Amino acid sequence: MSKINIYHLYPNHLNLYGDRGNMLALCRRAKWRGIGVDIIPVNPGDDIDFATCDLLFMGGGQDSDQKMVAEDLKGRSGEIRKAVENNMVIFAVCGSYQLLGSYYITAHDEKIEGLNIMDLYTEKGKGRLIGNAAINCTLWEPPRTLVGFENHGGRTYLGPNLQPLGTIIHGHGNNGTDKTEGAVYKNVIGTYLHGSLLPKNPLLTDFLLTKALAYRNQDTFLRELNDSLENKAHQAALKLAGS
Amino acid sequence: MEAENNQLLNKYVKAAEGRSAGLRLIGAIWIGKILIFLTRRLGRGGTTLPGRTALLIAPTLSFQLAGRLKQGSIVVTGTNGKTTTASLIKGILDKAGLKCIHNQSGSNMAWGVASTLIENCSWNGKMDSDIAVMEVDEGAFPGVTASLQPCGIVVTNIFRDQLDRFGEIDSIQALIKKGLDASPAGNFQIINADDPSLASLKSSKKTNRWTYGLELDLPPDDFQNTGRDIKTCPTCAHKLEYAKIYFAHIGHYHCPNCSYSRPEPDVKLTDRRVTGKGTNQIEVTLPDQKMDLEVPLLGIYNLYNVLAAIACARAFKISTRIICEALNNAAPSFGRMERFEKDRKEMIMALIKNPVGANEILRTILNHPGKITLVVAINDRIADGTDVSWLWDVDFEQLAAIKDRFSSVIATGLRAWDMAVRFKYAGFEAEQLQVEDDFARAVELGLEQTAPENKLFILPTYTAMLDIRRHLNNMGLGIPFWEEH
Repeated sequence: MSKINIYHLYPNHLNLYGDRGNMLALCRRAKWRGIGVDIIPVNPGDDIDFATCDLLFMGGGQDSDQKMVAEDLKGRSGEIRKAVENNMVIFAVCGSYQLLGSYYITAHDEKIEGLNIMDLYTEKGKGRLIGNAAINCTLWEPPRTLVGFENHGGRTYLGPNLQPLGTIIHGHGNNGTDKTEGAVYKNVIGTYLHGSLLPKNPLLTDFLLTKALAYRNQDTFLRELNDSLENKAHQAALKLAGS
Repeated sequence: MEAENNQLLNKYVKAAEGRSAGLRLIGAIWIGKILIFLTRRLGRGGTTLPGRTALLIAPTLSFQLAGRLKQGSIVVTGTNGKTTTASLIKGILDKAGLKCIHNQSGSNMAWGVASTLIENCSWNGKMDSDIAVMEVDEGAFPGVTASLQPCGIVVTNIFRDQLDRFGEIDSIQALIKKGLDASPAGNFQIINADDPSLASLKSSKKTNRWTYGLELDLPPDDFQNTGRDIKTCPTCAHKLEYAKIYFAHIGHYHCPNCSYSRPEPDVKLTDRRVTGKGTNQIEVTLPDQKMDLEVPLLGIYNLYNVLAAIACARAFKISTRIICEALNNAAPSFGRMERFEKDRKEMIMALIKNPVGANEILRTILNHPGKITLVVAINDRIADGTDVSWLWDVDFEQLAAIKDRFSSVIATGLRAWDMAVRFKYAGFEAEQLQVEDDFARAVELGLEQTAPENKLFILPTYTAMLDIRRHLNNMGLGIPFWEEH
């Protein structure tokens, strides 16, 4: 039987916007196909071995939590980067997405050093970017839609060679100006979208599962599921984002 | 801060003393009263538009009218429990013979407060009421406190709620602090001792502070309590330790690093027995005496509301005899575990709006024996919170663990499909789930699928609750809130 080890980073601190929904989507959709899932919660100060991690999930947190997390992760950035170069999967939402870049300036003008995994940085902006959002996600060709909700004060700018996760159909995206949303580097996906994102976008959930299986050279075939509820929620959210 | 507050108050006083202020006030009252009449004729509650319009005409309206109340006003704020707490306080004040006004519809923004004042004054702005009890939204709290200059403030708790409006939990705490600072010196402040984010808040002025808390041993359960957002000491940021946790971050906490710990409450709940009807029989210990009472409200979270009301009444020097009499007859407020009955089927409507509050409702549902039908109505209008991701922080898994006891589970509202997906991932079978976009039809469906003597639970968000309640009123069940006394 195939098995995926999901490391859930700081579940008590990075869980602001229904991030439990993302974890639940990954676990359920794996288990419905008979794929085993081990969830390993990682808490601040824990001794972790990224060599056994297939998929690292990082949720959103408040500024105060994020600072603590950045501090705790500092010593581990080398390990994580090495795993990323080997194609380990990371899915990071909102505050954690910001931490994947080079730095992040908080609403109180504090500069938080990032993990330097993706070529991006985050400045503070005037007002928060809040609301339903929909993007054309270029992980697929032709692109497919992703729907979610964004709520961020930071404005994220991507380096010239970094691919965005998609282009904005409705909403603000990375910075409210360049129409991009999220970022993709190797098997690392960062995004501002929550809602929760994965339950309503089963295509992305399955994409992450496939990549995690491939990372350990396991069978990547995913049996088709009945996604009629998920797809209706997706369509309903797409419509709401446009209204 | 102090200077800023005084400036704000001076601005109010000056504006209210201006030559045209009197005329503006009367004009605003007339227009407000006419709009209340018209909106009610349209079958609406008349709580938003009249107040909003009147405040545009006379921005100091609330300050002026509240100043005419003989005993001033009491403001109740916090994430959960403010409606119930405010209505319990009103019940006690009524019993004590005070003429008390109250924004009972839960319209708790600045304009809702203004509408209530307009409705209860005469056409020339006379107030013959003694006191106002206003529940106030956390975001509106600093502004309303500055304008009402209340003689008392009650703060229930702080949880994650409507982050699309507030941004982060830290900012809710900052709003509460700002409101406490804007209140007049010498007033009384009733604070939940078991909430570590509140007990550390001190007003910059000298005030009369009362705290309340639970002293019970409760059995642990499987809830995950994702809404437990206060993890660190508010004074030194070290991780807090708990001797007891009642729910979320509410309990007996202390910081192992600095001296910060739960203050010894002035009003304590020292014993509790759940009766056959599910109501609470409780013993409350005050500094000078004990009270025994039976409160017809369900759930642990309501015990906090009861303690807050008792502390407030004691700060107002009302006798324990009157408090007991009032609380023994307390009815659930507007949409808070409100009961309706049709064809020997009991309907219980309980507002859900954030993870911690919703989890408390689920705990109460779990305690109901027998078959249950469930209708969950999720809207994402501004008053509901436009971000529905909080549904994923609610422990619906606890309901799925007893899924055989549900005759059916129906999702409705603007976000019905999101809710259906939430149920599916919680562990319900797809065949058990129904989606009905129209809430009136969803309620009827729920009733059809409930056998006599069984229960139908309806869990709506705020605007869905207003819609469903109106529908129930049209069916001849319950009465519109503006006709309640």
